Amino acid sequence: MASKLIRIASYQAESQQELSLRQAFDLLESKLRPPFPLTIPNPQEYTQLNQAIIYGVLIEPHFAKIHIKHLHAIVVDGYKLFLTLLVGIVNELYGKFVDSVKDQLIWVTREMIDVSAVGIDGLLVCLLRQIIGGDFSDGNLWLCFELVSVCLSKWDCLLEEEPLVLTSALYTFLRLLSDHCRLSSNLELGVLRQLEIEFCVRMLREQFHLCLKIGRDLVRLLQDLVHVPEFRTIWKDLVLNPSEFRTAGFSDISQLYCTRTSSRYFLLRITPEMETHLRFLLTHVMLGSQKRYQTWFAKKFLLGPERESLVVDIVRFLCCAHHPSNEIIQSNIIPRWAVIGWLLKCCRKNYIEANGKLALFYDWLFFNEKVDNIMNIEPAMLLMVCSLPNYIDFTHSLLEFLLLLVDNYDLDHKDILIRGVSSAFHTVVQKGVVHSLDVLTHCDGLSPSIRQRLQKLLFQ
Amino acid sequence: MMWLRDIVPAAQNNINTHFILLDKGKITRDGQNKMCLALAGDKTAAVHLQLWGEECDAFEAGDIIRMENGIFSYNRNNLVLRAGKRGKVEKVGEFTMEFVETPNMSEIKWVPDPNNFNKYVQHSVISPHSRIFPPIP
Repeated sequence: MASKLIRIASYQAESQQELSLRQAFDLLESKLRPPFPLTIPNPQEYTQLNQAIIYGVLIEPHFAKIHIKHLHAIVVDGYKLFLTLLVGIVNELYGKFVDSVKDQLIWVTREMIDVSAVGIDGLLVCLLRQIIGGDFSDGNLWLCFELVSVCLSKWDCLLEEEPLVLTSALYTFLRLLSDHCRLSSNLELGVLRQLEIEFCVRMLREQFHLCLKIGRDLVRLLQDLVHVPEFRTIWKDLVLNPSEFRTAGFSDISQLYCTRTSSRYFLLRITPEMETHLRFLLTHVMLGSQKRYQTWFAKKFLLGPERESLVVDIVRFLCCAHHPSNEIIQSNIIPRWAVIGWLLKCCRKNYIEANGKLALFYDWLFFNEKVDNIMNIEPAMLLMVCSLPNYIDFTHSLLEFLLLLVDNYDLDHKDILIRGVSSAFHTVVQKGVVHSLDVLTHCDGLSPSIRQRLQKLLFQ
Repeated sequence: MMWLRDIVPAAQNNINTHFILLDKGKITRDGQNKMCLALAGDKTAAVHLQLWGEECDAFEAGDIIRMENGIFSYNRNNLVLRAGKRGKVEKVGEFTMEFVETPNMSEIKWVPDPNNFNKYVQHSVISPHSRIFPPIP
């Protein structure tokens, strides 16, 4: 059966959500044109009406304005149900939407921003998450373009009503820019890149106090863009002239270092489908049984010359946005360190592997027991320890990388880094993640110089 | 809905089940028709799945499939599960299903039940795993 909403592949089961919307639309079709009935709908009728209007807005562009007027007339919950249903549909079916439906989706998003609909932040985040990292297909770049345009054109409204969503957009576009700026020879990206830069620079210059809410990962994202002229000055100011940001209370980059980034931001660069697959892997699959799942995951999400960059985002997600329960930790379910080890070994490009290791160790650099979560640093410790003795070179490379970071990441704040990493090491022992650090400091397979540097760091 | 561990060879379209596609073999031609052998599993057992015609291109490893009125029988000397002419297979999801690769119902020697010649019972295990799609080490 053909659908006006989605492309249906043969042998594909019907989507229950699509079916509900279509059935509601068919049932109420005659009531969707003016004059609209004035009877107050009961809850079930209200749901059906919302479903019918969503379907109508998405598949009937020429009647979309009428459908929205109808919605404005009947809404009793600040559009909350409308947006909840819409988010559900987008999360399940976005990839299958026909092109005209995607156009309508952006249109209705703008309409909902204009009325400050309840849950508009959820819709915007759900759309931002549909932008696939490392994907330069037309469809994906189109979505990027539409969303950054929405953020720019609805700036005042969003700033007033949903300022946190602008920080989510900043995180997203800073991250995407590091991919987009790398392919500088691609002329088609020029316009998109300019808009993304415009949005990000405006946020950083005009709303820095909001940007601070992102926390330390803001520094990590900006660092990848220092080669871009528009960000070079911002970076210089961040490091040398913090007062340029004219933000009360902000006087040094170390204040950002000390702010842990909320897990909310790490979800932004993982699509809902990727998130579902990763959480399933870490909740249901035994260590030793993961090979087929890894093959499928890599084929679906990591295949393609630029897709590897997703590894960095996935590592950050695994460390900070997926904390298994004690029950799972004590079971035979595949642990996070094993998945991260596999991802890092998937990397063909050195700079991506390096960024992946930085993502793995980022919370180590600034670890403060009072503010940080041991679950964010546990995977790195276990990866180093569990790679012994069979993959000792890997442990060596991780430890060496960590020590190099302490020495070189920020020469002006080396004391913070030493304190952070040292604190991280002591905390993993104190909390029982490992019994003792002897496993590293007294490991014969590791070079004496590494062991010495580690000892020095630990007992500084 | 049956678990794969409970399927029994029979000349009937009586298999309603739900599994994940683990691996897919090469597509070959039998005259005009495409066919392809695959490995499927649920959390109780695995089985060889025979894909036919357009089914061969419609499904990939990692797909979760629902089968209605399928048939588990000998087809050119292979004991396979397939939709057959009266059955239906549909993709219902991806990735999020647990599976085992042993026992493999297609790698079992079945013999007629001495008490009921119309039924088959398990005689012995030919191989704990598929010999065509061995587990990834």
